[in-house]
Amino acid sequence: MEDKEKVSPSGEDLEGAPEQNSIPTTKVQRSAKFVKTGIKIGGNYIKHYSKKLFNPDLDKSELNEDNAADIYQSLSELKGSALKVAQMLSMDKNLLPQAYVDKFTQSQYNAPPLSGPLIVQTFRKYFGKNPDQIFDKFNIRSTNAASIGQVHQAELNGKKLAVKIQYPGVGDSISSDLKLVKPFAFRMLGMSEKELDVYMKEVEERLLEETDYELEVRRSVEFSNACANLNNVVFPKYYPELSSKRIITMDWLEGKHLKEFLATNPSQDLRNQIGQALWDFYNFQQHELRAVHADPHPGNFMITPEGKLGVIDFGCIKEMPEDFYYPFFSLTSANLLDNKEETIKAFRQLDMIHKGDTPAQIEFYYTQYKEMISLFAQPYITDTFDFGQTEFFDQLYGFGERISKMSEFKQARGVKHFIYVNRTNFGLYNILHELKAKVKTDTFKPHVVLEY
Amino acid sequence: MATIESIQAAYIDYALTEGEQPKSVYIFAKQNEMSEAEFYQFYGSFEAVEQGIWAGFATKTLAEIRAQEVWEGYTAREKALSFFYGFFELLKSSRSFAVYSIKKQPKGFTTPRIFSPLKDLFESFADEILKEGIESTELSDRKYFSKKYKDALWIQFVFVLNFWINDNSAGFEKTDEAIEKGINVTFDLFQRSPIDNLFEYGKFLVQNGGIKDKMGF
Repeated sequence: MEDKEKVSPSGEDLEGAPEQNSIPTTKVQRSAKFVKTGIKIGGNYIKHYSKKLFNPDLDKSELNEDNAADIYQSLSELKGSALKVAQMLSMDKNLLPQAYVDKFTQSQYNAPPLSGPLIVQTFRKYFGKNPDQIFDKFNIRSTNAASIGQVHQAELNGKKLAVKIQYPGVGDSISSDLKLVKPFAFRMLGMSEKELDVYMKEVEERLLEETDYELEVRRSVEFSNACANLNNVVFPKYYPELSSKRIITMDWLEGKHLKEFLATNPSQDLRNQIGQALWDFYNFQQHELRAVHADPHPGNFMITPEGKLGVIDFGCIKEMPEDFYYPFFSLTSANLLDNKEETIKAFRQLDMIHKGDTPAQIEFYYTQYKEMISLFAQPYITDTFDFGQTEFFDQLYGFGERISKMSEFKQARGVKHFIYVNRTNFGLYNILHELKAKVKTDTFKPHVVLEY
Repeated sequence: MATIESIQAAYIDYALTEGEQPKSVYIFAKQNEMSEAEFYQFYGSFEAVEQGIWAGFATKTLAEIRAQEVWEGYTAREKALSFFYGFFELLKSSRSFAVYSIKKQPKGFTTPRIFSPLKDLFESFADEILKEGIESTELSDRKYFSKKYKDALWIQFVFVLNFWINDNSAGFEKTDEAIEKGINVTFDLFQRSPIDNLFEYGKFLVQNGGIKDKMGF
């Protein structure tokens, strides 16, 4: 969207996806529309049914395989840093669910916008009124896509509002999509169903939570209150009385998305300020609330004209139980990591070293994981950390690459909580890197237990 | 004094409580304290009552959606969507009757007689919005086919109706999805598409590509 001020929850505007009822004007546009995403899977169905014409006994397993293959292919196309980083701590094995999470969120952006009548219908269903009876002004054309819905601009009593509306049936499609990928994943990863299930369940749980807008409103209110005292972090006000299972109403936050912000060539001071706000926001949640906004997607943040960080999406929250929090974050303290015996104990608690491992295996995993954790912990070790330096990230990626090729990591390791905690922290590191921010990392320190 | 509404309401009540239509107009009239003649003033048979109820749903829906502020700004596609959503939202409050009425229809390809007046209303509405759509070039005017557009919409309608009858999802959300996807596909086909281009290309080749000669025609 050209209009820089026009931004709102969960970024990614609809530029690429013309609203269904607009008629593409040129021939090029028309053909482009025709070959859009999803055509492949559609093709699989056509293939299936044309084969079925000649062989009525054909069952759907081939079709599902074709679909899964295409889904997997699009997953493996995901070669960005996100995947590499995810690969790292998730130890190759939870790679698929991880990639799936990312790809899934992305693929939602390609969903066609809801038609005007469906918006009206959704309001009638949940409020018994048309949107124009609820708001003073309501723009029936959506301005932005959110991960599983779309955002409309509205006005009530002179206040500009953002109204997020969820696509119908998203919850069901999450479960069925995951089911579709599962058997394929077993084979691809050579992982047992039981092993993979633990991770898949975790992913499914989080994704399903994201579809519960009532929960999201409750959490948004909770988290924005809990984080209200953080410097330079702002939240929109939420309106529970104007929200429902499929609708969330909040204040319209003016500002720029990260990309747009960076394009304005902000000063180092300003970049540090935003980076610091991000760091504080995440580490306050992790270490004080023990529950964290687990979707550090750049689209979930805005930078306000006053140079503050606006947080606009609390759909995905990861709660960290104590038996994960303490062993994991204690490892970020140099004191523990220097003590081999205690470190191994912590690894065992996190299921990174298994009960049946031989002494040689223990030694091997100890060395690898220690290297990994000390890399991850680097920002925590010093008081300030410069995320602009590339060496740190090169080291991270290099390490991820290396272990992804090791056969020892072709087996599931690590408790399920890693999936989202890693996504959160590496997502955070990545954004800070993009910001090239220098951050004081001792503002909210991990709580550490030195012995197990 | 009986009215159309009172007869419809009494009929629905009877059919749903007893699970079948009254044995005779005589019994029905007697139970509702009116004369048989009074009943015939409004309807010729029980079937006509059911027809009237179904047609009533459409009339009410049309009045409701046309009164919406956004209506005038809608494209043909959106008007069709709006009708479908409005109709099934309204039908929700009479779901038991709808299920009863549809389930007792014989299976087949012809439109059940109880739907005849509803179909007339639907088709004149479809005709109206399709004409609008073709005029505004939202939809493509094709020889022979554009006259069939309204039939395609009716088939959609019957499909969604059956879908809704069997829909178990909370708030009939699946039906919303079926409407959104189904109507959009249908209208995608109504508007200019690659198939038109393909067809025209084929025509061009036949006329200019010398295919006729090569094929030995």
